[in-house]
Amino acid sequence: MMNEITVKRRGNKRLNRVSLPVEFMFHIVLGLFCLICVIPFIFVAIISFSSESSIREIGFSFQPVQWSLEAYRYVMDLGDQLWRSYFNSFFITIVGTALSVLMCILYSYALFRKDFKYRRFFTFFAFFTMMFGGGLAPTYMVCKNILGLNDSYAALIVPMLLNPFNIIIMRTFFQSTVPNELIEAAAIDGSGEYNTLFKIIVPISKPGIATVALLNALAYWNEWFIAMLYIRDAKYFPLQYLLMKMQNQVDFLVRNSSVIGAEVTKILGTLPQESLRMALVVLIVIPIAFAYPFFQRYIISGLTIGSVKG
Amino acid sequence: MPKPIATGKVTPNGFSTKKKTLLLLTMVAPGVIWLLLLRYLPMFGIVIAFKDYKIYTKDPSLFNNIMHSKWVGLKNFEFLYKTSDSLKMIKNTIGYNALWIVLGLIISVTFAIMLNEISNKFVAKVHQTLMFFPYFLSWVVASYFVLAFLDPTRGLLVHLQQSWGMDVTNWYNDNKPWPVILTIANLWKNIGYSTILYLAAITGIDASQYEAASIDGASKWQQVRYVTIPHLKPMIIILFIMNVGKIFNADFGLFWNVPMNSGPLFPSTQVIDTYVYRALMATNNVGMSTAAGLLQNLVGFVCLMGANTLVRKVDEDSSLF
Amino acid sequence: MKKVLSVILSLMMLTMLFVGCGKKAEETADTGAATDTGAKTEEAAATEAPAKEELAPVTLKWYLHGSNVTDDSEVLAKANEYLKEKINVTLEPIWGTWGDFDSNAVLAINGGDDVDIYFTCSWSADEYNAFARKGAWVRLDNPDNNLIEQYAPDLWKTLPTVLTQGATINGSDGYGVYAVPGYKDIATQNCWDINVPLLEKYGYTVDDIKNADYYSFGEILKKVKDGEGADFYPLLVEGNVLERMVTNSIIVTGDAGTNNLLSYYINPTDTAAEGPYGNKLLSKFETPEYKKFVEKTREYFLAGYIDPAMGNASQANDTRTAKQLTGEYLIGTQSYALGYEVQASKERGFEVAMVPCTPPYVDTTSSQGAMMAISTASKNPERAMMFLNLLNTDPYLMTLLDYGVEGVHYNMVNGEAEFTPKRDDYMPWTNGMGNVTLLPPQKGQGADFWDGFKAYYGSAGEIPVLGFAFDGSAVETEMGALANVAAEYALALNTGTVDPAEKLPEYIQKLKDNGIDKVVAEANTQVDAFIAAKSK
Repeated sequence: MMNEITVKRRGNKRLNRVSLPVEFMFHIVLGLFCLICVIPFIFVAIISFSSESSIREIGFSFQPVQWSLEAYRYVMDLGDQLWRSYFNSFFITIVGTALSVLMCILYSYALFRKDFKYRRFFTFFAFFTMMFGGGLAPTYMVCKNILGLNDSYAALIVPMLLNPFNIIIMRTFFQSTVPNELIEAAAIDGSGEYNTLFKIIVPISKPGIATVALLNALAYWNEWFIAMLYIRDAKYFPLQYLLMKMQNQVDFLVRNSSVIGAEVTKILGTLPQESLRMALVVLIVIPIAFAYPFFQRYIISGLTIGSVKG
Repeated sequence: MPKPIATGKVTPNGFSTKKKTLLLLTMVAPGVIWLLLLRYLPMFGIVIAFKDYKIYTKDPSLFNNIMHSKWVGLKNFEFLYKTSDSLKMIKNTIGYNALWIVLGLIISVTFAIMLNEISNKFVAKVHQTLMFFPYFLSWVVASYFVLAFLDPTRGLLVHLQQSWGMDVTNWYNDNKPWPVILTIANLWKNIGYSTILYLAAITGIDASQYEAASIDGASKWQQVRYVTIPHLKPMIIILFIMNVGKIFNADFGLFWNVPMNSGPLFPSTQVIDTYVYRALMATNNVGMSTAAGLLQNLVGFVCLMGANTLVRKVDEDSSLF
Repeated sequence: MKKVLSVILSLMMLTMLFVGCGKKAEETADTGAATDTGAKTEEAAATEAPAKEELAPVTLKWYLHGSNVTDDSEVLAKANEYLKEKINVTLEPIWGTWGDFDSNAVLAINGGDDVDIYFTCSWSADEYNAFARKGAWVRLDNPDNNLIEQYAPDLWKTLPTVLTQGATINGSDGYGVYAVPGYKDIATQNCWDINVPLLEKYGYTVDDIKNADYYSFGEILKKVKDGEGADFYPLLVEGNVLERMVTNSIIVTGDAGTNNLLSYYINPTDTAAEGPYGNKLLSKFETPEYKKFVEKTREYFLAGYIDPAMGNASQANDTRTAKQLTGEYLIGTQSYALGYEVQASKERGFEVAMVPCTPPYVDTTSSQGAMMAISTASKNPERAMMFLNLLNTDPYLMTLLDYGVEGVHYNMVNGEAEFTPKRDDYMPWTNGMGNVTLLPPQKGQGADFWDGFKAYYGSAGEIPVLGFAFDGSAVETEMGALANVAAEYALALNTGTVDPAEKLPEYIQKLKDNGIDKVVAEANTQVDAFIAAKSK
């Protein structure tokens, strides 16, 4: 078998591949879409390097009248707070992702097991919370008063530990990658449930796990609302919250400007302007964009695991 | 094989079933505890939807306030249907969602298959990374980008129209192009996300299946049809069912930020979520916001259960539960 | 599935029980504490002026608005030392910013958090009147336990009567005072904001604007538009403000957010007198005044005097600010605060003049611009009142909490406070704390700033319905729907971006379909009752 394929492959380099023109077309289509995806980010970066007066004069534009590093200088002036927030964001993302992926794998593996007696009950139990919730005020009260989540890293991590959507996605990944015979075989070999899960199932489900981990990491990295609710102490502010705080202040003032009156212009003057907010977007996106290929290695590597012979 | 046990009375099989169930229960336990505390416990708040929420001045706490507030039946729901806008916003919400579910599905599955077929893995990685970028940008930031094109006096499109001698469109004053603009914006932001999910499902497929098919003389197209798509089916169906559950919920960030809250665009941009938000800015009634959320989820829930039952009839394994 | 549902339901019941029990235990503890303090109050009241040693130490949590504070340690150390000695209070401020206030403070109030004092006002989400009705604030002049009389008689005497009147409203405990109003810019005066150098370039003077009105601006606008080119828009307007300026209508507090549905028309020359329609509220968009206004505005828009971006709610303000700073306008709209033209000229780098449309007047919204309310969840309302009294009468405490520590956050130079770079770490909202006239003037304001301030705001007359706030709770369904209708049409009509010949009748019809008549009728019943109660 092996030999046959290698022989064939010598004869035709594009064995079991789409033809060149078709692949070329794929490149064009995907390339165009990627361009559309990345241009707005370049746009944001350009604004972050534009001077305020340029934005005032011609609005948001790809070609500012004047370039400026002012926004970044201002960001650097945040000094310790900036680094502290970077650290917080990294910390909650790493710890939060690790814990939530673990919980997600455990829960969804049990749901995946067809021989699990309460499978449907627990699926519904998780899924039901996706549809119905108590709303903001009761959740806030439970977290703060009953669970005591307040000004701590736990307050940033615990409220997002589980996501029913991810559980169901993970279960689906198991369904489409893990053959039932494998579990049966493992059981016959006397492998314990946890052993089967972590020694056999997890290694072959790496692409799916990496995907869920990525979704979790993104969720933690982008989170600011929870920080707004439970964190008062600047020591725990994540990076994204620093940005949203500025954004929210400006939005609020603009919304109420006709009522607050003349004072608004004065107050808005003390708040960071557009270029600064864009600079923060750049600073937020860059680390996660660089972390992305790390996850991707696993997502892509699923291919190589599967195709042992390739 | 389970280890022999002292009593020896229980059949190995029966024991292992019990033990297995117990072990699997310990796996769901952490999740169950979390769900109970952070999701089920706050659900008592749902009753706010049926109350005239007042603060119990003698001893204010959320629980006391709820208990001492008067029942008002369905009054908090009235603002959702007693308005001349209700048909319009329901039509918009469901219409956009239905269109985007279908378009999103087709495009992201296609993209995932294309990415999988690209032989240069480095290029595939680059594509994949870039596709995900919009997901990082908030709708606020995205709306600035849209504005750069559509600004009524200095937007890029307006400049193009001027230089071609066309009539200048005031984009934020004309609702007709907005279904297209919103659709592009939505796809732009979400395709990368679902493509990743599908791609991960594809890469989980054992390559030997393709090789076997190839040796049997299946063309690439046939392989996609008979190997890839069937493997993707569970993921497609699950994502579809879950999207159906959100059919009554619109992406607030998109509909609020991208049209810049411009009034004349409402015929195309008013959805349930924006309507509720505006109504609440005017009334500040927690009961009404809870009621709106409850109704949206209830409708979504019914639709989802319907979709799930349908799927279960056809293919039980792919259904949600 | 039924089984699963029933299991979930019973689980919910269980959790509710659990919450209930937890709360019950707390409750008993709370009532215990409450009776305790109650006893103390009686004691304190009995001895008339309690000696400081008798007061038990108390911590007050104080939720502020609009703060930009990263380091309050030095200020708090000093303030708490002082407060400890005076009223045995330790202060714990919660520095709410502009943005997170909407959801955070409202959540805290609705959830009965243990906060003693909240900032509140007529325009933010934790709205004074609405929450007073909901039972969030302690009534301060409650006949059974009049906190003002007992603990803050001086404070009440120092406040201008327009402020105390504006604070007297219908709340959960009857018609009375539910918060201590802050003395800041308490008057409303809408002005034309004039770009003087540009006006003079075309041979006009500020007097030409003073002698004209909106309906006769056309000639001046045309001349400047022709001279400056197609990309120049001489009228820089906030649509909703412009509408109020031109038709002399005011914001009715409690109305549907930024897009007002109701109008009260004032007499533009004598604001204390009854307006042209008497003490009646009208549906804003059905009046002849409104029709005339939108038709003129449409004419100006079509002539290219108004930037189309102004009709675009989220974009309007950014564009307006940018054009003010670059001077790309001739006539703008501005709600005025004393000394604003000086500040604006400095910021924009050219001479700016303000031409008022009416004399300054006090309406409910402006009199409730910044207030401090005591929460019904507070365990120590008496002490909170003592603190508010001290804050609003003691210049040392006010300056310390508002400006920071002298020599650290500011220095006194020639009777003016000059801020140091340290002030960047401690910037509460200056006007959001209380009586600003206790503060030393800031650099550039002049040592006699407060004399002018008191003269200007003291001259502001009250309008006949000062203190009236519309209570929409009986018509919430309609208000919710109408707010959406207004968002669809009002700004577009007010800036001329849509054609009133087509859209105004459509708008009015839609307002009627969604129950505007019911809302207006309800509002007028309330106004009549209010006037009757006030004249009693």
